[in-house]
Amino acid sequence: MVSYLARRLAFMVPTVLGITLMVFCLLAYAPGGIGAGLAVSGGQMSDTSRVAQMQAYLEDRYGLNDWVIVQYGRWLSRISPVKFGERDLRAPSGERVAAPRTIDDPPLAAAFPLPAVPAVEFTAASGDDLVAQFKKLQRDAEGTRREYIGSVRLFRDALADWARAQGDEMARRLDAKGSADPDRFRGVAFDAASDGYPKLRAAADSMHAKWLAARQAQALAHAAFRAGPYPKSGIPLLPGLVSLDTPDLGVAFSKNRPVWDLIAAALPVTLLINLIAFPISYLIAVPTGVLASVRRGGWFDVLSGFLYLSLYSVPTVLAGVFAIGFLANKQYLGWFPVSGLHESGAEAFTFLPYTDAAGTWHRGYLVDTMWHVALPVLCLVYGSFAVLSKQTRASMLDNFNADYVRTAKAKGVPRKDVVLRHVFRNSLLPLITMFVGIFPAMLAGSVVIERIFTVPGMGSLILEAIDLRDREIILANTFMIACVNLLALLLADILYAAADPRVSYE
Amino acid sequence: MQNRFGVKDFLFLVVLLATLGSVWLSMVQKTRMELAQGELKSKLADIEQQVAQLGRKLERGLEQLPQAAADAAGRRAATAGPEADAWARPGVAVERWSAPVPATDPESVPGFAVGGEFTELFEAQPAKLTPYIAGDVYSTRVLDRVCESLGRFDPKTLRMVGALADGWQVDPDGLWIRAHIHPRARFSDGQPVTAEDVRWTMVDYIGNPLIEAERARSTQDNLKEVKVIDDRTVDFIFKEPLFTNTLIAFGNPVLPKHYYSRFEPSQINQATGLLVGSGQFRLERLPSGPDQLDTQWTPGQDVVLVRNEQYWGEKPSLDRMRFKTIKDDLGRLVAYRNGEGSMMLPTSPQFNTVLRDEPGFEDTSYALKWTNMRCGYSFIAWQCGPRNGKPTPFADKRVRRAMTMLLDRERMIQDIWDGIGTVSKGPVNPESAGSDPALKPLPFDPDAAKALLAEAGWKDRNGDGILENEQGDAFTFEYTYATGGEISERIARFVKDSFAKAGIVMKTRPVDWSRYQEILKLRDFDAITLAWGSNAPESDPRQIWHSESVKEGGDNFTQWKSARADELIEKGRRTMGEAERMAVWREFEACVAEDQPYTFVRVAPWLRFVKREFGNVNTYKTGLQPEEFFRMGAPAAPSPAN
Repeated sequence: MVSYLARRLAFMVPTVLGITLMVFCLLAYAPGGIGAGLAVSGGQMSDTSRVAQMQAYLEDRYGLNDWVIVQYGRWLSRISPVKFGERDLRAPSGERVAAPRTIDDPPLAAAFPLPAVPAVEFTAASGDDLVAQFKKLQRDAEGTRREYIGSVRLFRDALADWARAQGDEMARRLDAKGSADPDRFRGVAFDAASDGYPKLRAAADSMHAKWLAARQAQALAHAAFRAGPYPKSGIPLLPGLVSLDTPDLGVAFSKNRPVWDLIAAALPVTLLINLIAFPISYLIAVPTGVLASVRRGGWFDVLSGFLYLSLYSVPTVLAGVFAIGFLANKQYLGWFPVSGLHESGAEAFTFLPYTDAAGTWHRGYLVDTMWHVALPVLCLVYGSFAVLSKQTRASMLDNFNADYVRTAKAKGVPRKDVVLRHVFRNSLLPLITMFVGIFPAMLAGSVVIERIFTVPGMGSLILEAIDLRDREIILANTFMIACVNLLALLLADILYAAADPRVSYE
Repeated sequence: MQNRFGVKDFLFLVVLLATLGSVWLSMVQKTRMELAQGELKSKLADIEQQVAQLGRKLERGLEQLPQAAADAAGRRAATAGPEADAWARPGVAVERWSAPVPATDPESVPGFAVGGEFTELFEAQPAKLTPYIAGDVYSTRVLDRVCESLGRFDPKTLRMVGALADGWQVDPDGLWIRAHIHPRARFSDGQPVTAEDVRWTMVDYIGNPLIEAERARSTQDNLKEVKVIDDRTVDFIFKEPLFTNTLIAFGNPVLPKHYYSRFEPSQINQATGLLVGSGQFRLERLPSGPDQLDTQWTPGQDVVLVRNEQYWGEKPSLDRMRFKTIKDDLGRLVAYRNGEGSMMLPTSPQFNTVLRDEPGFEDTSYALKWTNMRCGYSFIAWQCGPRNGKPTPFADKRVRRAMTMLLDRERMIQDIWDGIGTVSKGPVNPESAGSDPALKPLPFDPDAAKALLAEAGWKDRNGDGILENEQGDAFTFEYTYATGGEISERIARFVKDSFAKAGIVMKTRPVDWSRYQEILKLRDFDAITLAWGSNAPESDPRQIWHSESVKEGGDNFTQWKSARADELIEKGRRTMGEAERMAVWREFEACVAEDQPYTFVRVAPWLRFVKREFGNVNTYKTGLQPEEFFRMGAPAAPSPAN
């Protein structure tokens, strides 16, 4: 058993990696690419080239220009507890501070030689000033880097203009959009006398100047980083090479909040609804299935089957609309609230209901939440009875024909015991399989219900993320669901072994 | 083996009961503590009210002192003499403004009472409220209640008047602006609004590369420097004389330096609810420092604003404003009817259906429909330049004009939007002075359109009912639109039919919204439908209409180039005088309307349902002014509800 468990757990790692790699590649190659939601629209801006520079800066910030496999590798290293290289620092606010990123060399360094980079001198300030010094250098590094990226963009535009001025031969090296990729101009001899060359040279010089400034600012910031304004985070395994640290799920770029915060806010809501819904559906469906199988063909069997199948056929959207239109509408029944999980002003409620001095009964937070959760749970649950009860009924009927049942009846075991202690326990295997399907469903939430009842759960979080191609949320979610799914399958197998002595993994 | 109830089962049962019992007792204790807290809170609110009243009395007394002294001495006190303008630069006129007053005084409306809560129903959750970092329209609605800028648009005339500023000077050459802050201006925590706050907001908040205020930062390109002259006077120096300079100086909400500088840039970037300003309302839940960031508002909760008791102008009569999100259209209407919301935005079909089917609806609700400065327009854009190297039929202006004349836009509005909306005639907001009321949209005239097409070379040469040009190519084109919504499908069908009647074959290309950005960027379309929004009476047309913006990164995705339009744009941008500039915009509007790079379809009015429990609900050219609303015969302040 132990070796079986070890094998299964070991196989999970490549499976999860494969799943996340596939999702990452799908996102990257989908039309719109990663971060389609990042696209900047001009509208209020006064200058086209500024928009282009801003786009270039955003792409650099999120590393969208690198190859897909490199981006994936970066995500993996962030999410793994084992970190390589320099350790991050941990600010007192709990936030992780990474070393300032290195600056790439400007393009076409052969045709436009780079200036020499003078060495920077850094003297660390003492005591509290160290933190202030680091913050200032960090801000400078970010600002100069931004300007450098913008100047690379302007250089590319100048290159495109120059190529167009040279005629078709050079213009062929431009891409479909009419912009210049510097790599396609490698080896081109730039004639100083050609038109457009002075502008190109000026753009290159400005780019080099900004590159120098950015390089120096980055070197200073890095030196300040190494001087240790904050304590290092994580546990070193091989100092300077390998360390252990908490996984970092990243910052969602559509919402600009840490992914972990978003999930931590949405997950309890989804769990609440699902943890209430699943026991209800099981507690109604399974006994009905047992009863239906015992009196097979009787009125209860036919009626419950008919009722459950009709409920199953009603689409969730329609059920939601009916629920809101009739059960929540004061013009009709109005027994339940329309949306959300709490009443307006529920923050001021007490937790339990109470009756005040004037004799009015106040609902209290707990009862209010239950009342609000009632309609979403109803919509989640009504369709699930059919499958569960039919499945229970079918496997019970299978077991009624078994020989041990005949033996038990012949021995004189009371009918109730035969059904509940013998037949029912042996029909549990299919139910166990379906039961472990709960766990991934609990994480995924139900998009339709969350939209109809404005419940801020996991379903709407992931749907919005997919719409905006927000890579971080989608990957974090996929990763979580993949892990939970695999663990749930493993749990199912273990439960089989527990429930059925015939199943063994030796 | 029998399953007897043994000692260990008994122990287990005892432990279980003890755990459940302690959980129950802790819930009871929590309830008791919350009741006590509720009492404390209401006492605090009372004290705050009293302190604010005392403060106001003191101020009024202080203001009257010089008047009293002068009266005693028998002289009239100088109200606005040379000393009052000591801050101003010599030689340039000073425009003076009084503290903001409501456009319609609520106290003059019968039924006026103080108190009550106003709930607005949003269609989607705002992701953040932090100013300049939050970008969506919902957070802007909240921000407008909490923060103030140096200037604002007068609701009735749409001219820029003073809000936080009680006087300003605009350089006739357009290179500097000097503003003086009202001496009484205060943030919601009582600290005065100073010139340093203005400078800090522009330079160290928006201009800080570590803070993700990208959009705001890029509109500030033309700002060279912000200088603090004295405690209440600030100078804005610009690089070039553009008319948008006044917007930069007067249109940005002023944030308190003493509050926001407590937080790190990364904390500000990631915070969801750090919203502090000098406006009439303030956020109820506001962290006072970085260690209280857990208490801030997060998406998923209602946004609650309470009246700013320290407001330096005329305080609003509403106690609270609440913003609740209900995503489902039907759910929103039901919630509004149930009384859970005081105002909602109905969709166009809902507006007409509700009014038609419920005769008593207008007894309990205002049904408002009006056009204001925030109404944008929807359009079909024609690709005037080459698409992937090949020219399209729409390069010819006559063809574009003909396409517009083939569409019966009045009928479209009637059929698809149930009559709500007006035909748009050009890129300028019809409420603005930059739009010429005498200019009419192109008429629906299929015969004239066919004549124009024939002139451009498109005739039915072989009798198959489809137009061909001289080379024999049939007139077909691709119409791109975003999926998601019955309305876009109906528009596509209507448009296809209209063109088919004239012999033009239209192929539809529905694409996912996320691809739209890419298609626009690559200019990869023949015809595409879109809408521009608006949030000010005038905007700089350069980014959309100038030929420079045809390059990648610009929004001139139709690749329309007109030397006359370029000239007018440049002229308008540099005209500082408002009346002259509006005349230039009128000419620009005529130029665009003549060339029809877009077929302008519809100006969508604002639709609102507001409960009649609220008074002084007036529609203005800027939209609505909720801070002027009051609740008729208001109930007592909200308590833990039933």
